Amino acid sequence: METKNIQHLYRRIGFGILPVETYKLSSKSKKVIINNLFTASKKVTPLEVDTSEIKEIFRSMVDIKKIDPDTRRKIQKISRKKQIEFNIAWINRLSNTPEILREKMVLFWANHFVCEDNSITYIQQFNNTLRKHALGNFKDFVNAISKEAAMTKYLNTKQNKKQKPNENFARELMELFTLGVGHYSENDIKESAKAFTGYSHNLQGEFVFRKRTHHEGDKTFFGKKGNFTGEDIIEIILEQKQCAKFICEKLYRYFVNETIDEKHISAMVNVFYKDYNIERVMRFMLSSEWFYDEKNIGTKIKSPIELLVGLKQTVPTTFKNPKQLIYIQRLLGQVLLKPPNVSGWKGGKNWIDSNTIVLRLKLPSMLLNNAYISKLKQNEASESVNTEKELFKRKMGNRFNVKTNWKYFNNQFKNVKIDAIENHLIACQINEGTKAYLSSLKKVSKQEYCIQLMSLPEYQMC
Amino acid sequence: MYTTYVVTRISNVLIMDRRKFLKQSSLASSLFFVPSFVRAFEEVASNKLGYKRLVIIQLSGGNDGLNTVIPYRNDLYYKERPSLAIKEKDIIKLNDEVGLNPSLKPLKKLYDKGYLSIINNVGYPNPVRSHFRSMDIWQTATNSNEYSQSGWLGRYLDNFGKQPYSAIEIDESLSLAMKGENVNAIATQDAKSFYNLSKDPYFKNLSKHKNDAHLSEHNLGYLYKSMIAAESSAKYIFETSKTYSSLQEYPNNKFGKQLKTTAQFINSGLKTKVFYTALGGFDTHVNQINTQKRLLSQYADGIEAFVQDLITNNTFKNTLILTFSEFGRRVKQNASIGTDHGTANNIFVIGENLKKQGFYNNMASLSDLDDNGDLKFEIDFRTIYATVLNKWLEVDDKKVLNRSFTQLDFI
Repeated sequence: METKNIQHLYRRIGFGILPVETYKLSSKSKKVIINNLFTASKKVTPLEVDTSEIKEIFRSMVDIKKIDPDTRRKIQKISRKKQIEFNIAWINRLSNTPEILREKMVLFWANHFVCEDNSITYIQQFNNTLRKHALGNFKDFVNAISKEAAMTKYLNTKQNKKQKPNENFARELMELFTLGVGHYSENDIKESAKAFTGYSHNLQGEFVFRKRTHHEGDKTFFGKKGNFTGEDIIEIILEQKQCAKFICEKLYRYFVNETIDEKHISAMVNVFYKDYNIERVMRFMLSSEWFYDEKNIGTKIKSPIELLVGLKQTVPTTFKNPKQLIYIQRLLGQVLLKPPNVSGWKGGKNWIDSNTIVLRLKLPSMLLNNAYISKLKQNEASESVNTEKELFKRKMGNRFNVKTNWKYFNNQFKNVKIDAIENHLIACQINEGTKAYLSSLKKVSKQEYCIQLMSLPEYQMC
Repeated sequence: MYTTYVVTRISNVLIMDRRKFLKQSSLASSLFFVPSFVRAFEEVASNKLGYKRLVIIQLSGGNDGLNTVIPYRNDLYYKERPSLAIKEKDIIKLNDEVGLNPSLKPLKKLYDKGYLSIINNVGYPNPVRSHFRSMDIWQTATNSNEYSQSGWLGRYLDNFGKQPYSAIEIDESLSLAMKGENVNAIATQDAKSFYNLSKDPYFKNLSKHKNDAHLSEHNLGYLYKSMIAAESSAKYIFETSKTYSSLQEYPNNKFGKQLKTTAQFINSGLKTKVFYTALGGFDTHVNQINTQKRLLSQYADGIEAFVQDLITNNTFKNTLILTFSEFGRRVKQNASIGTDHGTANNIFVIGENLKKQGFYNNMASLSDLDDNGDLKFEIDFRTIYATVLNKWLEVDDKKVLNRSFTQLDFI
């Protein structure tokens, strides 16, 4: 497989690829490489932080129906701390995992089945449900999501009772999770909400079906009439070809191009509609020739997480104060586990505003190089970099307390000529003017050149 | 809209007598260099010719409106809040029925001067009691069952703002309210560090070398454009705001600092129409009294300093301050001497030229509640937005709110 295509594949199903691995793969065929990706992601490794403290509180409670305010506050306090831990663990997982395709899919699904909850136990369980079904069957996936404690809380299915239906979940199920706006009627929402009455959970976060609050009786949904359950409703939704189309379009926009190509979508829908097997449609997409079209390469704006994880992958970085990693996510506009609302992050150009662009460009140097970007001209002496760097370090280089592993980077790029580094770090064509400016600068070292490249708008593309 | 505004102002200036004209222009570095020529007069214009500004203050977490503006003669208030009601003797009385939380003494002064208008019972149909959802609704100005990715002030920017810095949030990140479909406002707490972050000569050189031919509407072109816009905004905000420093003393807390920065931006003549800032922590489910007391003091003391600062600099008359919270709280106190999430709430409008000073409308009924035991709203918050857009910022409110709302007459 061509180097260029390997890099493109890995930028989309992961966070990029380093030279050593790229060379290793370049002798293999596309088919083998893609096969290996799926084989490596067969396994599901749950992401977990230690929540025994909370579980212990649950166990010790006499009456699980009533939590007193003190206990509630205690649980909330632990939960907040653990959510930060989970966020960091998730970033670390993304930066270093053999199951890269599955993990990238989890990130995708987390912005599809959008959910937020204060309880670490529920949200951790939810997150691992995403992981479990990420490459599985879409119908099983939707059913599992509809029964997740965090989701029944988030979209008020818990409050959806036959005496007083709450349509929140039914609406988002169709609008955001399966069909897209305009492909159902208000009556479909009302009727399907009845089918999801009784969906709830217990304290431990297990699904509970409350028969007493469930609406028994006929519902009319998409022209069919019957005493439908929630599972029946999902079955009927998936019978609509629009559902397959909606999901394929979303996958396409995330993995291929923000601009839809109807021909490609209809080819994907033909594969997906048959059995809603996510792995199969992903395999089809990644194997197709159009996936590697020039117009799809290096044309997407990285999400904040893609940017951060990509940096960490190239130059391994440990935050001595993990809260700073959360802080950076907040400044960049994407804190894992904290979506803006149920429709998730909009992505693309929406990541960019005056603040985030400035931070994105300055972040690589601040994290990895004492905030210093070399501007040394061809004829200047390399030594002056060190004195300048000291100056920067004192001024703004200490803003983040991180440990960086440049040795790892240097090993990875040992056999890469300094001029060729950009082929590994930059996904798109570098703007002509920028290229001219870069070539007027001295290539002091691989590290300094790497920082110069990472500080370009071009580095924001994948 | 903005452009014509500037043109009118320049033409106003041109009618000015020639001597004054030359005197003021000499401040600019070069008389014949057009940009500084324009800038010199814009600075004059922005203070003298009524450059109106809107300051929004968000009380995050759901401030308990009923313990903020208190119906101290209403028996139901004391009955529903046996250990949470504020004692009549502590209440700052505004009239025979209603008084303010003891922490709000500075607001009483504004009230007495006619600088405060309290709009009671503001909310929206089918209220949502989730913080983030309700906040979204307030910030996007949509119906409670609609989702929008742009905020109302962002859409104001889209349609009527000229530059990203036409709206500034004094905070570390940007609220949804300030995000438009095409233009986003600036968020900064500190003009200097924003400028420092952006001013690396490396980026300046990239901007200089930018090759337009290859940077069309594509994503990469968008990044370059954003980079250049950010650089110039950061520079403009920093260099303009540093020309003025306030002598006013502010309370030494985050909110006080944010207001101080806001005043500095306003008084330095920054061409910004909208400022946004927030004070959080109002989610008082437990032991509400002390928490709310502390927060309302921070709010009122900050506002007092802010208003004084603006008055000193003759900018108060052109500034309107709007304070809101995403919802009020339940009428009945809960078991932890706190309150749970509720619905309608009061809004404070502060300014010099208010049409309806004091109370805009009556207090909410405490006997006619909804099924949850919450207030039934009377005034849709979007009618307030529409009024502010139309009568204060003087733009077509329908373009921003995407539909027509009744205009109120508080300004």
